[in-house]
Amino acid sequence: MARWGMVIDLDKCTGCQSCSVACKAENNVPHGSPEEHEKRQAPFWHKVIAVSNGTYPTVKTDLIPMPCMHCDDAPCVTVCPAKATYRREDGIIIQNFRRCIGCKYCIVACPYGARSFNYREPDDEEYHRPDPPPERADRGIWPFPHRVHGVVEKCTFCFHRIDKAVKEGKKVGEEVLPACAEACPTHAISFGDLDDPESQVARLLASRQSLRLREEMGTSPKVFYLPK
Amino acid sequence: MTTDFVALEGKSRGYRYLIAVLAILALAGFVSFILSYIQGHQLFGGNNVIPWGMPIVLTIYLIGLSAGSLILSSLTYVFGKEEYRPIARMAVFLAIVLIFGAMLSIAIDLGRPEKFWRLFMFFYMNNMASMFAINGILYGGYFIISLVYLGIIFSGNHRASRITGIIAVGWAVLVHMGTGAIFGFIAAREAWFSPIKPLEFLAAALTSGVALLIVAVTLTLALSGRELKKEMAASLGRLLTYFIIILLVLIIVDKLTHLYSPHREATLYLLTGQYSWIFWGFQIGLGVVIPLVILFNPRINKTVGWVVTAAASVVIGVFFERYYLVIPGAAYPMQYYPGEIQGVWGATGSFPLTPVEMVLSVGIIAFLIFIFVMGLKYLELLPPAEPIKEAVKEGEEEAEKAENTAEASEGQKDKNEQ
Repeated sequence: MARWGMVIDLDKCTGCQSCSVACKAENNVPHGSPEEHEKRQAPFWHKVIAVSNGTYPTVKTDLIPMPCMHCDDAPCVTVCPAKATYRREDGIIIQNFRRCIGCKYCIVACPYGARSFNYREPDDEEYHRPDPPPERADRGIWPFPHRVHGVVEKCTFCFHRIDKAVKEGKKVGEEVLPACAEACPTHAISFGDLDDPESQVARLLASRQSLRLREEMGTSPKVFYLPK
Repeated sequence: MTTDFVALEGKSRGYRYLIAVLAILALAGFVSFILSYIQGHQLFGGNNVIPWGMPIVLTIYLIGLSAGSLILSSLTYVFGKEEYRPIARMAVFLAIVLIFGAMLSIAIDLGRPEKFWRLFMFFYMNNMASMFAINGILYGGYFIISLVYLGIIFSGNHRASRITGIIAVGWAVLVHMGTGAIFGFIAAREAWFSPIKPLEFLAAALTSGVALLIVAVTLTLALSGRELKKEMAASLGRLLTYFIIILLVLIIVDKLTHLYSPHREATLYLLTGQYSWIFWGFQIGLGVVIPLVILFNPRINKTVGWVVTAAASVVIGVFFERYYLVIPGAAYPMQYYPGEIQGVWGATGSFPLTPVEMVLSVGIIAFLIFIFVMGLKYLELLPPAEPIKEAVKEGEEEAEKAENTAEASEGQKDKNEQ
């Protein structure tokens, strides 16, 4: 079984936020108004944070794209009482809206702020893609282009694309990519099987030093960063 | 000694007014719940930084008060202290009402409250590693054990009520430690992450419970035209002193371990940040310093009035301890990457107290008092002594209303008119 992971090259990232926008378009994530964004009630599956070190003449700014880290030891999976969040065999952490009771314990427990609560019913006209993903059989637990309010949602590594590609025998990581990786104009985001030594992510990780966010939390994230 | 218990007649004007006012407030709370259910939690102050709000504050506070009542009843039924027998039945009933209120608050805080039953599908649809699922067992079991306990007390079987009393008190301790574990086991929130949290919750519950007991008993006896025995006030005051000291030690140890650990920013924010006046003024000032000053002063620590003042101050202080833990405790931004995170992703969380959430909280409390007052009418909870009858009830209510001041004064007036 594959173990999907992502490698983000911070040297190539320009902070253009294409990944965040592509994610919102692909997964029907509500835009959220500026006020909601200010109040931190707008859902984001993918965000790009800017981190500065130092003061004006000697200052360095790092731009960090942050999808869900799909941790091998995910705290959200541990705390979810309803089995709404679980780890698939291929390592993707999935949120099942049908099971989610909205207790928000996972938002409290996630060290990466990767989870968003639906504070209101999403407006239909906000959606870029009103049609659900292809045939019903392919969708699996994904019959929810319209989320109800009161459930938690998060990045899925675009598992609907991966599942379809695996079924059709296409190469994930070369022919098929998650929306954020596909949209990146500088090809900073690579995606693939971490256990496959031939994959692009494995080759990148072998070639350079890499880091993961908040490793002291012991969550073993599957999103790796190649520092500048 | 056996005491006969009677039900309240509940035909006076004051009682009807009280029922009407409580029903209106509870209805207002229900309307705001329906509003939040239809429009979503945008009506609450919560957000993705501070996900939990007033319902969770109420939950952990009500659970604490519930244990206080149960421990009061155990003084009679387990340890055989006969002087508390007249209010022991009510204490058990109050514990049931309060744990019901706590479970109600959790259900209301869920984004999809209609799926609350999933919390009780133990081992089948539940992830039993989650503290919420474990607490589902603890809270549900506590509710059932308390009901059985009350039933056995009604049946008048002394031996059985003693055994159930022991089980109920032990289970109450588990309920508190489980509630503390919800917060203490979360590594991502540094200000919460601590093995001491379960014990701290237990100490806070015992402190607030005993304080509430002192306020309730005194009001009960005072309003029935009797005087609280000075010795009893002094002994209860001493008990309260021990609990406050234990709580203070645990608070200090908790803060110190956090200040010594490498991740001290969140705790520093709680101690010196924007809202630290809640911590120093309410949690430490009202909850610890003022009561200890009163209770350690040899000239006044035996007078009933001062002991009650100390107890009331503790009741308020512990409420703000819960508030400070749940809301500002989650506000400090998480450090995703070393450095200063710019913009909204690194901003400290804010939590506006919205009207819907406030009405909902008041409504929950009013609904609990409503159930309690109705219980007095339809269950034999009150001692028969004519002068003590009405007042006992009021004293208990008063205690429950400690945070609901507007409603409390109204109810008070109604009762006085009777």
